[in-house]
Parts: sequence; C-alpha cells; structure tokens
Amino acid sequence: MTRSSAIRALLACCLTGLASCGDGERDFGGPRENRLQPVELVLMENGRPDPAVLADEQTVLRGNGEEPETLDPHLAQGVPSSHILRDLFEGLTTESPEGKVIPGVALRWNISRDARTYTFYLRRDLVWSNGEPLVADDFVYSLQRALDPGTASSAATTLLPIQNAREVLAGEMAIEELGIALLDEFTMQITLTGPTPYFLGLLASPVAYPVNRKNVEEFGDQFSKPGKLVSNGAYTLSEWNPRVGIELVKNPNYREADSALVERVIYLPIEDQSTEVNRFRSGDLDWTFEVPNNQFKWLQQHYARELVISPWMGSYFFGFNLTQEPFIDNPSLRMALILSVDRQILTEKVTQFGEKPSFALVPPGIDGYVPFSPEYADWTQEERNHEARRLFEQAGYSEDRPLRIEIRYNTSDNHKKIALAIASMWKQVLGINSTLVNEEFRVFLQNREQKVVTQVFRAGWISDYNDPYSFLELFRTGHGLNDYGYGNSTFDALLDEAGKERVRARRERLMFEAERVLMSDHVVIPIYTYVTKRLVNPHLRGWQNNVMDHHPTRFMFKLKSRAPGSPEPQAEFAPDTPPATEAQPRATGDPEEPTPEQAAEPVLADEEESQ
Amino acid sequence: MIQEGILRHAATRLLGLIPTLLLLITIAFFMIRVAPGGPFDSEKVLPPEIRANLDAKYHLDEPLLQQYFRYLGQIMSGDFGPSFQYKDWTVNELIARGFPVSATVGGLAMLLAFVLGTLIGITAALKQNTATDYSVMGVAMLGISIPNFVIAPLLILGTAVYAGWLPAGGWDWSWQRMVLPVITLALPVIAYIARLTRGSMIEVLHSNYIRTARAKGLPERMVIRRHAFKPAILPVISYMGPATAALITGSVVIERIYSIPGLGSYFVQGALNRDYTLVMGVVIFYGIVIIVLNFIVDLIYAWLNPRIRYDEAS
Amino acid sequence: MTKPVMRVQDLAVTFTSFTGGLLQRKQRQLRAVDGISFELHAGETLGIVGESGSGKSTLARAILGLIKPGRGRVIWRGEELTGLDEEELRQKRKELQIVFQDPVASLNPRMTAGDLIAEPLWTFYPNMERRQVDERTRGMMKLVGLLPNQINRYPHEFSGGQCQRIGIARSLVLNPRLLICDEPVSALDVSIQAQIINLLKDLQKKLGLALIFIAHDLSVVRHISDRVMVMYMGQAMEVSDKTNLYRKPRHPYSNALMKSVPVPDPKLASAARRNSWLTGDMPSPYQRPKGCIFNNRCPYRVSRCKVDVPALRKMENEDWAACHRAEELDLSI
Repeated sequence: MTRSSAIRALLACCLTGLASCGDGERDFGGPRENRLQPVELVLMENGRPDPAVLADEQTVLRGNGEEPETLDPHLAQGVPSSHILRDLFEGLTTESPEGKVIPGVALRWNISRDARTYTFYLRRDLVWSNGEPLVADDFVYSLQRALDPGTASSAATTLLPIQNAREVLAGEMAIEELGIALLDEFTMQITLTGPTPYFLGLLASPVAYPVNRKNVEEFGDQFSKPGKLVSNGAYTLSEWNPRVGIELVKNPNYREADSALVERVIYLPIEDQSTEVNRFRSGDLDWTFEVPNNQFKWLQQHYARELVISPWMGSYFFGFNLTQEPFIDNPSLRMALILSVDRQILTEKVTQFGEKPSFALVPPGIDGYVPFSPEYADWTQEERNHEARRLFEQAGYSEDRPLRIEIRYNTSDNHKKIALAIASMWKQVLGINSTLVNEEFRVFLQNREQKVVTQVFRAGWISDYNDPYSFLELFRTGHGLNDYGYGNSTFDALLDEAGKERVRARRERLMFEAERVLMSDHVVIPIYTYVTKRLVNPHLRGWQNNVMDHHPTRFMFKLKSRAPGSPEPQAEFAPDTPPATEAQPRATGDPEEPTPEQAAEPVLADEEESQ
Repeated sequence: MIQEGILRHAATRLLGLIPTLLLLITIAFFMIRVAPGGPFDSEKVLPPEIRANLDAKYHLDEPLLQQYFRYLGQIMSGDFGPSFQYKDWTVNELIARGFPVSATVGGLAMLLAFVLGTLIGITAALKQNTATDYSVMGVAMLGISIPNFVIAPLLILGTAVYAGWLPAGGWDWSWQRMVLPVITLALPVIAYIARLTRGSMIEVLHSNYIRTARAKGLPERMVIRRHAFKPAILPVISYMGPATAALITGSVVIERIYSIPGLGSYFVQGALNRDYTLVMGVVIFYGIVIIVLNFIVDLIYAWLNPRIRYDEAS
Repeated sequence: MTKPVMRVQDLAVTFTSFTGGLLQRKQRQLRAVDGISFELHAGETLGIVGESGSGKSTLARAILGLIKPGRGRVIWRGEELTGLDEEELRQKRKELQIVFQDPVASLNPRMTAGDLIAEPLWTFYPNMERRQVDERTRGMMKLVGLLPNQINRYPHEFSGGQCQRIGIARSLVLNPRLLICDEPVSALDVSIQAQIINLLKDLQKKLGLALIFIAHDLSVVRHISDRVMVMYMGQAMEVSDKTNLYRKPRHPYSNALMKSVPVPDPKLASAARRNSWLTGDMPSPYQRPKGCIFNNRCPYRVSRCKVDVPALRKMENEDWAACHRAEELDLSI
C-alpha cells in the first residue's frame, strides 16, 4: 500500500467511523498469517486431519470479552469464564462440536421411568491432571460443594432441579439430604424434584463440573490459580494474568489427549470490540469474542471469509408493564403497538447485524423446537399497520386523545437506536408521542422489577440451556424476572405440565401451547433473534456453528499456510456461512461440501510466513 | 536545617493524611452503597436462598454501620478484602498487578510529556509570535482538542493494522506494546505543558534578573538553562502533581482501547458492577497516591525555589 | 585633553508597537532615544538626569548593546560596538558593565550571593580554578562591604542595599573599564542611598573606572558626577560641567529641573515648588511637538522654537546646550 493510500484510508476511517474503511482493499501490509491462505484440509480414514496439513505450531489465540470473574467452576456464571472452563474441565456429560449432549466422564446413564432418577456409570480409567484417579465420589463432593450455602454460588440455580437443592441452599436441610447418591466407586445416582428433560445438558455446564477435593481443601479460595488448579479436561491452567490473558496447555492425562490437536490456547480478555477487531486484523488473534455492530457492514465486505454469523439462543424484545396505565387491561393497545413495529426495518436498516426478525418469544433452532408463529407474521407491514390503527382506535385513542408513552432502556447505543426507531414507527403509524428514557443498567433493572415507573421497556433473554422452557418460565406468575406483571393460570398450568412431561413430542406441544397463550396476551413486542458473529482465522478448523455458541478448543486444529506465491487451488472449504443467508450449523471440516473460492485474489508475497 | 524542616513537614503532612483518608473512606463507603443496585444484581434474578447466602458470605446482611466498622478494621491491617467481581483475586492482588502497569505507562507518558512539552514551550517562547511559535503551538493545541478515543484508534490503524510496526494492543511489558498507549496518554499533557511553559517562560524572560544575566555576558543558552528554566517550569511542576496522579492511576479509555491491565478499569468496572471492595480499595489507593505526589511536588518546589522553606512553614 | 574612551554619536532607539486588531494593524513608532551624542573620558563620571520616561535607561542599554540601536554609533576605545555581532559584543561585557535599578528583582532568587557574583567568572574563565573563583568572589564581597561568610545566602535573605552591593560586586568582578549605573539607588532607602553612592565613588577612584550614572534625582547626580547630561524625551537638552549646571543651567528645562529638587527644609521646599514652573505633563511620546521638543512647556519660547529644532551647541565654556536662546537667557539659580 502506498503512503497516500494509507493516509486516505486513515482519513476515511476517521470520517466514517470505521464503517467504510478503504474501497475493496484487503491489503493491509505486514506479515500476517490471516492474510495467507490455508492449505486444503485432508482427512485421514478415522476422520481426523492428516498431520501433513497441520501447522507446526498449534497455538490458538482466542479473544474472550471481559476478564473472567472466576475460574472456580462452581462460582462461574459469565460467558468468558465458561468458555475457559469448558477447556479445563469435563462434566458427566459434555458437548459435541455441534452442541449436542454426549457422554463425558460418564460413559452411559439410565433414566428411571418417572424421569426423576438418573444413574451414571463413569469411565473407569480416568485421572485428574495431577494423576490421581477420577471417581464418582469426586462428583458427589463437587455437586454438594456447588449447592453448599457457604459456597454462595449464584450459578447453583442451574442445579435447582436436583431434589432438595433449594432446601439445602436455604440452609434448611443438611447437605447429605441432596438427591445425590454414591452407588459404588464409579456409579452414582441423582434424583430430581420433577422431570427435567434438559437435565443432561445442565450437567455439561461449569457448575456441574468436578473439582478435586484435596485441591480445594489445600488451597481454599486460591485453588483456581495457576500452579494450583487440578482439572480433568483437555487442558490445564498454566498462566493467569488478570486482564492480560489466560494460558492453557494440553493436559496429557485427559482421556482423549491424543485427539486434542491444539497444544496451547490463550484466552485474551479484550473488552473493547473495536480493539479486538484491530488485533484480529493485525494478526494477534485467531478467534474474536464478537464483532462491533458499527463495523459489521464493513467486515461483511472486507472479511467475508473470516466473518462467521450463526443463530444463537437469545431473543431481543420489549416488554409491557401490565400492572400500570396505559397497558393494564388493554390488550388492543398492546396489540396495536406490537403490530406497528416494522421488524424488517429494525434488523435490516437499524441494527444491520444479520439478526432474524421474530414474531414470538422462543428463538428458532433450540433443541428442535418450532416456535409459535402468530397470524400476523405472514402479513405485509401495510396490513399490520392497518390492523394496528383499527385496534388503536378501538382502545379509545385518536388524534383528539393522543397517547404519550415512555420507552425505557439501559444505556447502550444499540438499545437507543432501536428505541428511537420504534418510537418513530409508532409516531408515524399511530401518532403516539414517545419519550425515551435511558438508565444505568442496575437502576434500570431495579425500576423494571418494581413495576411502578415502567411502561414499555427493553428486555431480552439469552438461555443457559438448550430448552424453550427457559424462555417461557420467565412469564410464570410471580417469577422473579416477571417484570411484566403477567399472570395467567392457563399459561402456568401448561408450563407445570410441560415440566413433568417425559415424552419429548408431548412436552414440546405443551410448550408451544403455552407460548401461544403468552403471545395472544400480548405481553412482549418480539423484535429479533440474536446471532453470534465473530472473526475466525481461516486456518482454524474443526469447530462448528451451534446455537449454544460453545466451541471447545479440543476439537480445533490449525492448518498450515500455503506457501506464498503458490497457485490458488480450485476449491476451498469455507468455514463460515455466507452472512446474508440463514445460517445453518455446518461442519467446517466436512470434505463433501466444497465451495468455490468466491473472489480469486492474488496472494501477496510474504517473507516471514514460509514455514 | 533544611533536612530537618522537610522531615518535620513530611511528618505533619503524613499526620494530616489520616483524617483526609478517613473522610475519603467514609464518603466513598456510603456513596457506593447509596447507589441503586447491589453487587449481585443481574438481569437474571437470583433465588432468595442464594441471595441470602451471598449476602451472608460478604457480610452484606449486617447493618450498614456494622459493615462500615468491619471494613475500617479490615483496612487497618492493610487488607482490602476479596473482590466481589473477580472472585479469585483479592483487591490487594489486583492493585498490586494493576498499579505497576498504570504507573509505568503513566510515568513514561509524563516523562515524555514533560520533556517534549517543556522543549516545545521553550522553543515557542524564544521564538515568540513567529511562524515557529504559531505552528508548534498549533500542533500542540491539536493534542488537547482531539480526544484520545479518536487518536488511539487512528494510531492503532496506522501503526498496527496497516503498517504492522507495532502490536494493536495487549500487554506483556515489552516496549512495543507501551509505545502507543504512552503516546496517546502523553499527547494532551504535552500540549498542556507546552502552553504552560511558553506562558511562564515569556514572563520569566521579561524579568529583571534575566536582563542581569544577559548583562553579565552569559550566552543565551546559558541564560535559559541556568536562569530562566527553573522558574519557568514552576507552574509545570505544580500542574504535574495532580496530572501525574491522574496518569499513573490509569485511564479507562486507554486501557480499553489498548487492552492494558491497568488500574483505571478496576475503578470504573468496580463502580459499575458495585464491586464495593474493589471500588473502595482503588479509591483509597488513589487518595494515597495523590497525597504522596502532592508531597513530592512540594519537595521539588522547595528545591527549585529556595524562598520556600519548610522550617518556617506552619 | 586625553582622548575619550567612549564616543557616542547620534544614537537612536525606536520601539515599534502594534495596535488595532489582526486585520487593521497599525504601527506606532516610539522614539525612546533620539540622536544622543557625547564623549566619555577615562576615570570620568557622566551623570544623566531626566524625568522618568525620558529615555535614560534605554540609552544605557543601547550603549551596552543590550538593545539594538536603530541609528548611530558607539565607539569604545576605538572599536565600534554597534558593528559587532552577538558573540563579539558578549566578549565586551568584560569591559563594559551595568548596575540595575531594582537590586532585588535583578538578582536570580534561586542563586546564592556567591554564585551570582561568581557567575561571570565561570562564564568568561571556565578554566579558572574553583579556589581562585572563590577567593575572587570573597574579595569582591569584601570590596563592596559584604561579609564573606554571607556567600551562601540567597537574595531574599539580604536587604535591598545589600542586594545592590551584590549587584555592584557582580558587575565589577570582571574588572570592567566602564560601569553604567542605571538609577542604582532609587529603589533604596535614603539612608542606604548615601552608602551606595559613596561606595561607588570610592570604587571608581580605586579602580579607575569610567562611570555613567543615571538618576532622576539631581542631588545624587551632583554628588558623584563630573559632567551631567540632561535628557528630555530621548534628546539631550544640555551637557554641562556639574558646577556650571547646578549654578547656572543653560537650558530652560535644566533650570526647571534644578528648581524642582526637593529641599530638606519644608519652608524652603514650598518656596521652591512655587518657583518651579515646570507644569503640565510630558507630551505623548507618539506625538512629539514640532520644533524644539520642549517648546510647549517652555516659558521662554519664541516663535522660532515652534519651527526650528535647536541643535546641541557648544557654549563658550565647553558646555553644550540645545536651546535657541541659550546665550541670551540668564537662568542662574
């Protein structure tokens, strides 16, 4: 790149807020691995990559958002720490690259007829990273520790389906009364309060991971520090420098140590999304935690190969406060407001992030569940607006009796943009004058919970586990997060039934019915389904898109770079899905789906990268 | 005589530090708790049982006054307690790791700013009202008027992303990763110091003893070096006390943009997350740093200006 | 008569100032020193008097090259100072020195008395041994009446008179041949003034200095000078022998100045003030009267005074005056 064009590019970035940096230029100079092309993936008969195509150095640098709050699996809650803990530990169950629950430390299990008792048969030859044998008692100890009131774990909510868990947490029962029993050295039994279909998935989450009793008892609060932490996963903790990085190295004692190809993984806490993109672009990262919205379009144009977009199990919506004027007992008004929001414009013009417009609460793609779709989902926006006006008048509003409402959200550019857009849609369609109120997050949460000053407020839910139930239960009468003041006994009853139902199809039907009831009561304004989006080094393979956004490092591997100047191959595997289309989880190492190289750009000579 | 005076002065100042700190601790302690929300509030509301366990673990279930005295007792022994947010770390550990980083970056930035700022200021003052003066000061003014969250990304794009000379962020104590943060942090300070120096240098150059120095037959550079420099930087020195405190305690913006593990983010993150112990620890630490730096400035002042003698003070 | 050590010929200093905004900039010229000429002999003391603003200090600095004169020449022992470059001029500081008006402010408050006095030595004799410098400094202090044990004190620890002694010691440390004293005592107490004047007088005798002594106080000048120059608005009105000037001035302005000298006796003082007719202020330096510069305040003016500029003419007794009527007027006091 010439100097003047560099200056031009800088100016352009400056002027347009990084949104339109450079016109089609991909050439950012310097020896950068991610500017090179990876070699073609060759698989061996066992489905593993041929060692000949692997890079010599199997180190992965993963951007990981904020500094993890802890590496004690029983206290960890945040996404950053759970990414790391998935590499360090393995629960009774674990997840496949595509996010399915698969056997972990437990080789197999039995579920009783009433779906309340799970018997786990553990693998017999497993050891901790320090060489000690891993036995069923370790899990009994660990689950008891997680639910011990003294541990004061907020993550313990995940384990509440276990019998007597609530009472133990409240200190009303002794810890031995938990529904956890040791049958023999390698067999254990967990009894639940009621049927919980997603329980096996819960066991793959950090709060259900085993910790080494001696390790915890020896070091107390400090056991999760490097040099001390004993783990049972594919990696062990070798360094932790707060807000600098966490380094994990391969655990030779892991049961499948041979299949884990990445030797070293470094998690870098990078709070600022733009910084993360810059570090990726300068070759400092293989994997970003996310990408900033305002650079999305530019990245779509210039980093199409690296940008990966995938649906996620989160919903973005606004809620009504049903306990106060003007929404109390006013379904027509609520419906009018729901109808007159143009989701297409919100996702395509306002957020511009590949989100999927939604008309219901539960996002699609969760464990096979097909969400409820209201009639108006198929209407044109014109028809919706027409109906909205009719309902608005029916609710008693008109030009002479206009409506004023407050839209409340926690301070964030994205929420603000969406709230502004919604306000102008309501103004245009219904003539409503809205006031935007933004509040600091904690203040916002408190106001929502008190249900006094709120009218329309920003909401949203990102599920912890692969089950629609986690979205629906928020609207139960009296639920701690029911900031809407919603109460419908039919809905509650349907959820109760769904909780007990053991047959998957019937349970899904019950949840679908519950969602239908909820949506017909017009409690929320669905806006869109979240997607995950990140930049990934094309050399990094082995992972797959999934709604959980869980990507354990042990499945990953790094390809060699093609020698500089060598001819382009005819075809290459695209690890990402094209951003505009509906993304489906796809195996990145799938040899049967070659896609043609989209733009054949010349590879620039690079001095350093000739390994 | 001077030594003794300064020692006595130091002792007085240190004694004065105690009520100041106590006041600071008290105000900060109650202010952070008056702020709505608590450390364990999140979008996902906790079941009351868990909430109670957490409150008990961190003594949040006690009456506020009892918590206050518990905290006072704890910090008497130099223990700021465990962080609520970074559960595996004590506040002492976090400060011990964050401060050296902030102090290094901030200290280097201040050094750079002092050297460049005074050089620019003196040059401008000597060439007062010439093209050199206007252009140098004009560039310096840009340093003040362009905010660092604009300059920093531009620097990263230019030197790291496009040119590939420097890393785009991160921290490993290598000079390469310090260059950009130090420059970004120093720019506005350079500009400010340049302005201060220029103004006071012009004033000093008009003073009688400079005329005397010239009449003595001193070459101009000696006049500047031996007679004009010290008095001209006096205002810079008094500005540097609080400015250094601000720099070495870390800047959130710089730390975010360059992903540096300094102290500034702990303060802001701690406040936003209602991490009571972390906020308190950092506030108290800030207070001590500021008091110590002001004290150092006083000493430098005395060295630069013999008319200030602490044996006469108070 | 001996050859003069210094000749000043038609020396002029003009200051330019700017007024108005950035767009309508106006230049204003202020002629602070306007064509001064005189000669000075070795060992002689020339007093310069005049009201404040008459250009005395500017003249002093222009002579030493501390201000660049706009016109004219200063010839020092046959060498033209006005033609020297900065470095050559700096070298001349060894021979030509000055004592300033405000003794305290003229000393760097951050240096000790010893350093202030010794600094010219370090500057011009960087190889001089420390001990020697110290010896010389102490010698100078003793010479000007300071105690050598005060060598490490700072200016703020001295009185104004002592500060001026430091200033004098500092100016003499290089053994100059000419010393210009720019109102050296006007900032001092009357009781101290006499001490300093006497000190200067003694030193001049001891060291054989040529001295230019500037003051607005006529009695001080009278005490120390051999000849006196009277200045008004940058010009020399009269240059006369001390005795002649104080007995029978040649210029009406000199006469007015003599009459306004404060007299210790209050009765006489009021009489003197009544007799003094020097009324009105000096005209604005930017609007100088045409003809004789003094004409608008002069009771003896004739029509010619408003047209012709009187030259500084030699009188019959070697005195000089710039008045058309110098010969005809009898201005004896």
